[in-house]
Amino acid sequence: MTRDDISFQTSRSLPARFAAAVVVLFLSGPIAIAAVIAFSSGDRLEFPIPGFSLRWFAVALTKQQYIDGLRASVIIGLANALLATLAGTGAAIAIHRYRFRGRAFLQAFVMLPVALPAIVLGLGLLYALSSYNMRPGLLAATLGHAVIGVPYVFAMVSAALANYDNSLERASLGLGASPIRTFLLVTFPLIRDGVIAGGITSFLFSFDNFSLSLFVTRGDTLPLRLMQQLLSYADPSIAAISTILILLPLGGMLFLLPRIVRGRI
Amino acid sequence: MPARSLQRFAPWLWLTPAAALLIPFFVIPLLLTFRNSFYSDDPMGMLIPGFTLANYSKIVRDPYYLGVFENTVWAALLVCLVSIVMSYPLSWVLARAKGSGRAFLLWTVYLPIYVSVIMRVFGWIFLLSDGGLFNQALIHLGATTHPLQMMNSFPGMMVGLVHRYLPLMVLPLATSLRKIDDAILRAATGLGGNRWFVWSRIVFPMSLPGAVVGLQLVFAGVLSDYVIPSLMGSPHFQMLAPAIYYEGITNASWALSGAIASAVIAIVALFLLSANLLVRRVAPWASL
Repeated sequence: MTRDDISFQTSRSLPARFAAAVVVLFLSGPIAIAAVIAFSSGDRLEFPIPGFSLRWFAVALTKQQYIDGLRASVIIGLANALLATLAGTGAAIAIHRYRFRGRAFLQAFVMLPVALPAIVLGLGLLYALSSYNMRPGLLAATLGHAVIGVPYVFAMVSAALANYDNSLERASLGLGASPIRTFLLVTFPLIRDGVIAGGITSFLFSFDNFSLSLFVTRGDTLPLRLMQQLLSYADPSIAAISTILILLPLGGMLFLLPRIVRGRI
Repeated sequence: MPARSLQRFAPWLWLTPAAALLIPFFVIPLLLTFRNSFYSDDPMGMLIPGFTLANYSKIVRDPYYLGVFENTVWAALLVCLVSIVMSYPLSWVLARAKGSGRAFLLWTVYLPIYVSVIMRVFGWIFLLSDGGLFNQALIHLGATTHPLQMMNSFPGMMVGLVHRYLPLMVLPLATSLRKIDDAILRAATGLGGNRWFVWSRIVFPMSLPGAVVGLQLVFAGVLSDYVIPSLMGSPHFQMLAPAIYYEGITNASWALSGAIASAVIAIVALFLLSANLLVRRVAPWASL
């Protein structure tokens, strides 16, 4: 791309850059402040913080309700990512690698959970669980969250599939490799980034889900516990546990962002 | 030939996991929601089969439910408006940035998406509460003697909602703006178009597809947001998601909550459809 050679003048115009800087500050300011307060040595919320300390991290990591919530959220998040990745990748391969009737319809259908308000799906799952004789809990939450993850995995794997030439697959099959061998040795390595990106995304969305969890869990995931805590009293331990939790998104973003920057997913 | 028959069944084989997940946990829940909306609730919290439109007439006639719908749609439209205005400058700079500047801006847009909403609300509580940073500053400057109530108010909720959904507007908009070739802009300026001309005749029309995607994401997001209204909203300004939760779980009114949820689906569908039609009408080149 050579369009970067001479940038259009307004990209350097001061008002646009100033407004953009204000919006960046608006987006990241509250998060940065919460992260700083997590390291406060004070007893209450104050800024500037009286001193640096890790005491609120110690408080957060010894609160049984946080630890239990964290465990439930990690289990649901991982199992949900596995399911969503399996279903989303399968659907992407079916729709992008084969020609059959109803492809366009199925493609729209798989993306539908993005458009549906999550609170509506949560309520529907409440009804459905009772007809399946399932109780709200880890399994129900895993399945419910995975439904929301499927479109994201589908979109990311589709983008990866669009980037390569399927003559590679035909060559492999033509040279006598079995379909399974071809998938494992040719197709999968080519779409691996999309699959991993989809899995990470669905984990992170599950990890911060409220609208579905309200209906399909017993209120024991970490976000729901923290919401209860925030409704009653905001102490810096919430900022501390959230700061610990930033490490997960950061780890995920270290994988995702370089690929987004390069326009790969 | 076995390979050929495998080829015919292969797509359906690949679709099996998605079908096994989406049919029982997506399609059937929606069908049940729709069916329940025609049933009726008895006072004991049992669902009575039948066919009645009483639930729908209740949400249309009862000022409480009507108010909830009005509040939510109004809030969603306002969040859409504020976030589209805030998004243009950032999306424009993001679309034109390169190298480390672009990476930095992408981090600042993606970080709020992935950071827990709890942490974001925590930051806002700290800034906006009665003893928070803004009120301290206002009192210190002598602008006010009593702290202004910003948390648990309509403006506070708007701040929280815009903060939560703004990135979903910035990203699709930036994708659209990035597709505008600099050569077109240089040509327009070179041929004597002023800034307003370039903006209104080139940049804005070409950004419409991204803007519409962003509007749809933001609108649907606000409609089903439970956290921000509960933590930052006013108790006098009821929103839909908490109301659905209340009817479905606390009140166990499955028929009534089913009708409310069905109405929400209708509103979202109407919004998506009219946004697409509008774009097709005013910007036919941009139809999605």
